[in-house]
Amino acid sequence: MPTHISVAPETFLFVAYDAKRIGEITRELAEQLGVSNPISIEVDETTPLSKMSATIEGPASPDSTILLKLQSGALEDTKHLTNFSEKRARLSLGRVMLRAVDRLRADFADAPADLQLTNSQNAAWDVYCGGRLERMRLGPVEQQYRYDFRNRFGFHDDIDVMFDRLWSAEDLGWADLPIAG
Amino acid sequence: MRQFFPVEDLARDERFVQTNMAERMRDARSAVPVKKSAKSRGASNRLTPERHDASDAARSLMHGIMVGEIQALEGAGRTAHDFEVGDGSGDTIPFELKLDMARQAWDEARHVEISAKLSEWMGTEIGQFQENTVLFEAACSNDPVLRLAGVNRALEGLAIDVFTQMKEFGQLAGDPFLEFCEDWMLADEVTHVKMGSDWLRKVTENDPGRRAKALEFQQVVDKLFSFGGARGEGQESPIGLARRFRELAGFSDDEVDAISQMDHDALEERKAAVRLAQEAAGV
Repeated sequence: MPTHISVAPETFLFVAYDAKRIGEITRELAEQLGVSNPISIEVDETTPLSKMSATIEGPASPDSTILLKLQSGALEDTKHLTNFSEKRARLSLGRVMLRAVDRLRADFADAPADLQLTNSQNAAWDVYCGGRLERMRLGPVEQQYRYDFRNRFGFHDDIDVMFDRLWSAEDLGWADLPIAG
Repeated sequence: MRQFFPVEDLARDERFVQTNMAERMRDARSAVPVKKSAKSRGASNRLTPERHDASDAARSLMHGIMVGEIQALEGAGRTAHDFEVGDGSGDTIPFELKLDMARQAWDEARHVEISAKLSEWMGTEIGQFQENTVLFEAACSNDPVLRLAGVNRALEGLAIDVFTQMKEFGQLAGDPFLEFCEDWMLADEVTHVKMGSDWLRKVTENDPGRRAKALEFQQVVDKLFSFGGARGEGQESPIGLARRFRELAGFSDDEVDAISQMDHDALEERKAAVRLAQEAAGV
């Protein structure tokens, strides 16, 4: 299991988040996903937006540090703004950790960095992650992912078929995702 | 039946959590760059499908529309009920104005249902986001003319801007339901604003002081409804100002210019406040 998990900042000024709790949730998710790499989490608390990214530092190996960057909105309780949501945190951290797990695979070596992905690539990868989050019993809202996917690929029946295939998939490579490359 | 209902007593079930502008403005985070030297994160913050967070932002706005429709329904309903029938002087309103408010309440009820369905379509649960009660607060005046200014011209004016933005979003994304529904609701909102403009003129025809007071109140409400510059003509604002539809609803060019300036000022004030808070925190 992960040798080391760090969360920055250690104390939050703009939001009522607890770095220790974020670390605990990350550890639980890492155990569930079988991730043993060191994990470094950076939360940008100056923005309410919710962008996230996962980077593997150095060549992908069991010792590489996984760097997760999240804007504060990704961990936020939307009913009580600036407050932490356990459920949202599990979904966001779970999604971004699944991306990191994918990036540790050789068949994801060609995937661009998260912040370089197109909106369509992002949406497709998110759907692939969303289905796995559901099977991890973390309770993602499938309709939300379906709407995001339709926004990027179109509001057509054949797009919904593509969504269903991605949602139920396991063990895909980067080239298996639609419009990758 | 009780008259003059305070905002604290609005009926909501356990799914809803309410907030107000004071609480919202205490959040020292900002989605737009606030440092004087900072460049914008991109060409625009306008809510379009090209934004990386487009679906999340659209969901949040759609939920805001839904609770806004609930409050508009409550506001129009209260105005139909709270005042006695008369010639419009004092705290009376003409019977035909009551009928217009009743019609508006029926329209808003339909909008609530449409918005709830659209929220479901977009993957949002009812009550998923907090409800800002500032809209209903504009409907709590004891003077019916101020209600017309606050609700029909300021609140419904905001609805014109928001629906125009969401209709465009649906059109660009190719979402047939969103585009169609927003277009139909937009048509209703233009009518509601027009009703407010017409009745405000008619009821204050022989009372210029009362009309001036109402328009002054509308300006205050309009600035509040800018939500710290979230609405504005500049590209930093997610929601645009729908000039053409506002004209159709009876706003003069000067009035729209004044709203545009207020939106700009509100954005700059919000950025200055956030900048101060972030500097104080050493960010």
